[in-house]
Amino acid sequence: MGLFGIFLIYGLSLLVCKVFILRIYIYRLQTNAGALTNFEVLDFLRSRGASTDPTRVIASVAQSEFQVYDYLVQSAACNQTRESINEFLRCCEKFDLAKAEKINIINIRPASQVEIDPIIEDCEKRIHNDEVEDLVNMIVEVLPSSGKTGGTDEETVEAVADQEPMEVVLPPEGKPGGTDEETKETVAGQDPIDTI
Amino acid sequence: MFFLSLIEHTLRLPPHLLNLPLDQAIKGELETLFWDKVIANLGLCVSIYDIRNIDGGFIFPGDGASTFTVNFRWIMFRPFVGEVLSGEVEESDAKGLRLSLGFFKEITLPAHLLPNPSKFGEDGKWTWDFNGTELPIEKEDEIHFKVHSIRYPPIPVEQEKDVKPFAPMVITASIDFDGLGPISWWV
Repeated sequence: MGLFGIFLIYGLSLLVCKVFILRIYIYRLQTNAGALTNFEVLDFLRSRGASTDPTRVIASVAQSEFQVYDYLVQSAACNQTRESINEFLRCCEKFDLAKAEKINIINIRPASQVEIDPIIEDCEKRIHNDEVEDLVNMIVEVLPSSGKTGGTDEETVEAVADQEPMEVVLPPEGKPGGTDEETKETVAGQDPIDTI
Repeated sequence: MFFLSLIEHTLRLPPHLLNLPLDQAIKGELETLFWDKVIANLGLCVSIYDIRNIDGGFIFPGDGASTFTVNFRWIMFRPFVGEVLSGEVEESDAKGLRLSLGFFKEITLPAHLLPNPSKFGEDGKWTWDFNGTELPIEKEDEIHFKVHSIRYPPIPVEQEKDVKPFAPMVITASIDFDGLGPISWWV
């Protein structure tokens, strides 16, 4: 019965184009070891070498990660910086929002009262109308808008990513080694390129 | 939208990877195993965040490969119920809409979770009848929707030939609230 199941999963994998379930046993030690804002995931992918220009084929980033990167770059997270998010968290302490609501606001960046309404639960009961207006004004002021100027702002955000590395256990020296192998496979005879 | 999940897994490292530094080899193996896969109740695996602990390295008799017990964290895509996300319309038919986030396309918007007097036109578009004003949902619109529920259906044992490929993670969305739906409705 088990063997039959495994064989079927292999067969299914040929039918299913992209995403399928693994029938292996893993132990989930902590289902939720921390929530990440879109900006943090974007920062992480950038530090691994994802970008929108054609040098992306050389970075050690998978196709599926690039799809996530493409989605995040055209969302509100592309122009955010760590300082603006810290500033936002400091300013919204007086509104008594839940953690999930703060993350949601950072991810979506609502620019008007009607956009904030679905994000905050029981909005009318918890926060008065003029306070909601204050909140919206504060959001518009502190968090940068997504706009179409993602190209020019990427330079400054990448500088921030260099200064504040994420807590990755893998040593940075390991990365050029990894990309060396990638380049040898894909582009023969070219010197290894040092990714960001 | 994204969470970190701490997972422990017993990993068999094939012998042809023995020339690489250990953490790189393990990272590569984990990526092959988990990239772009769905783990039930944890979500879609996006990217490995870090490796916390590597234990073991035993070689079992009769096997050329060493086995490690690894603790690591993956970035998982798992929106919480009630979260507002922004996506695009992928297809639209009489039963509802299907939305997509680029990297994740299994977001269904059933007809009963559209704002109340909505109707399906012959051109394939859903239109909301708001106090006499007709507000259509176009294909290029950016839509804000609220996550209603997330399901992880079990793998089917048998599938007919021409049925849609099996989706291991399905998000049901709703736009039946102020401020949801295409942004052009509220701006």
